[in-house]
Amino acid sequence: MNLSLDLILDIASWISFGLGAFFLIVGAFGMIRLPDFWSRLHAAGVIDTLGAELIVLGMLFQAGFTIVAVKLLLIGAFVFLTSPTGTHAVANAAFVAGLRPLGLTRDDTAAKTDKGA
Amino acid sequence: MMFTAAMFALAVAMLLVLVRLFAGPTLYDRVLALNAFGTMTVLLIGVVGFMTERPDFLDIALLYALINFVGTIAILKFFRYKDLGQGLAASEEQNSLRDGGSQ
Amino acid sequence: MEAFIDIVLFGFLILTAIAIMRLRNLFAVVMLSGVFSLLSAGLFVVMDAVDVAFTEAAVGAGISTVLMLGTMAMTSREEKPPVHNRLFSFAIAVIVGAALIYGTTDMPPFGSPDAPAHQHVGPDYIERTPKEIGVPNVVTAVLASYRGFDTLGEVAVIFTAGIAVIVLLHGRTRPARTARARKKEKDV
Repeated sequence: MNLSLDLILDIASWISFGLGAFFLIVGAFGMIRLPDFWSRLHAAGVIDTLGAELIVLGMLFQAGFTIVAVKLLLIGAFVFLTSPTGTHAVANAAFVAGLRPLGLTRDDTAAKTDKGA
Repeated sequence: MMFTAAMFALAVAMLLVLVRLFAGPTLYDRVLALNAFGTMTVLLIGVVGFMTERPDFLDIALLYALINFVGTIAILKFFRYKDLGQGLAASEEQNSLRDGGSQ
Repeated sequence: MEAFIDIVLFGFLILTAIAIMRLRNLFAVVMLSGVFSLLSAGLFVVMDAVDVAFTEAAVGAGISTVLMLGTMAMTSREEKPPVHNRLFSFAIAVIVGAALIYGTTDMPPFGSPDAPAHQHVGPDYIERTPKEIGVPNVVTAVLASYRGFDTLGEVAVIFTAGIAVIVLLHGRTRPARTARARKKEKDV
């Protein structure tokens, strides 16, 4: 019984690590390959949310019910809250500074935001 | 074994993000890469702690997660208001100035 | 496996150092120095120096980035091209580096139990701390009790430095950059 539980936890960890590693590397490739800042935001989002949380989850399966698990949960919660906030702040700062997506002139966005407001 | 695999993936991803951090044409690309790099450092410390069977090191990972956020917000506040030394009131004043300027 | 982590971290450190050297944009340099200290703190963790890693994380990656940005608000954003002879600086750096590496050959191997640090007063503190102080962490006992006055002096120095930094950052910005000056700046 105990052995099989360990096995299940190991398999769960492997799956989490595998998926997490996949998202991390895909996100990192996106950071390199995508053409402009606004599309790279998406890649950074993949790293910060799915990639990071899945790796934390994989470690959580190995930690068991210890203080280590509590710390991992805290790390997961902090990353979950702060990463999207940080990404949003970057995007906001870039927009305020006048950075616009590729293939879009400044007048286009100005007209759209005026209509929306 | 699984921690080793995770660490390899982290190392590869960190290298790629580091390239973006060096190259990043705009400052915002660099901040974004810095944020992602910080997140991956947190994960790396955790994974290394598990790999060496001393997961007590997670305290540092926790500290990093917080410092990383504070650093990102400080950098962005600086970009936006061009200054760190002023309080909220001064920022608000500048905001209204900016709105006035664009109309 | 630890050798691999060391190689990866040191490789990143060298890459970061080269990038810091080559970039002229000071914002990017400040961010990269943050990365540099994140990486060195990672190395400290691998070497089991958890307390040093803690300090490096808080001071190097956190506070000094913020302080550098605050400083940059008052100076230029771009580094000026160097006017001195670069070959001379490079020679000095190589000589000092070689001397430091030569110095390390006299040091005991990493983690060696025969190192002077583990021979002199170390065992004495480890033996006496549980009896005399009763805290599990020997470093805390040494810092807060055996060398309490020394620590008090350090705290006073850091406090003074902090006040000085606050005075420097605040005193100059307020009068120089009024609302009108800022508006003028923006219009330009």
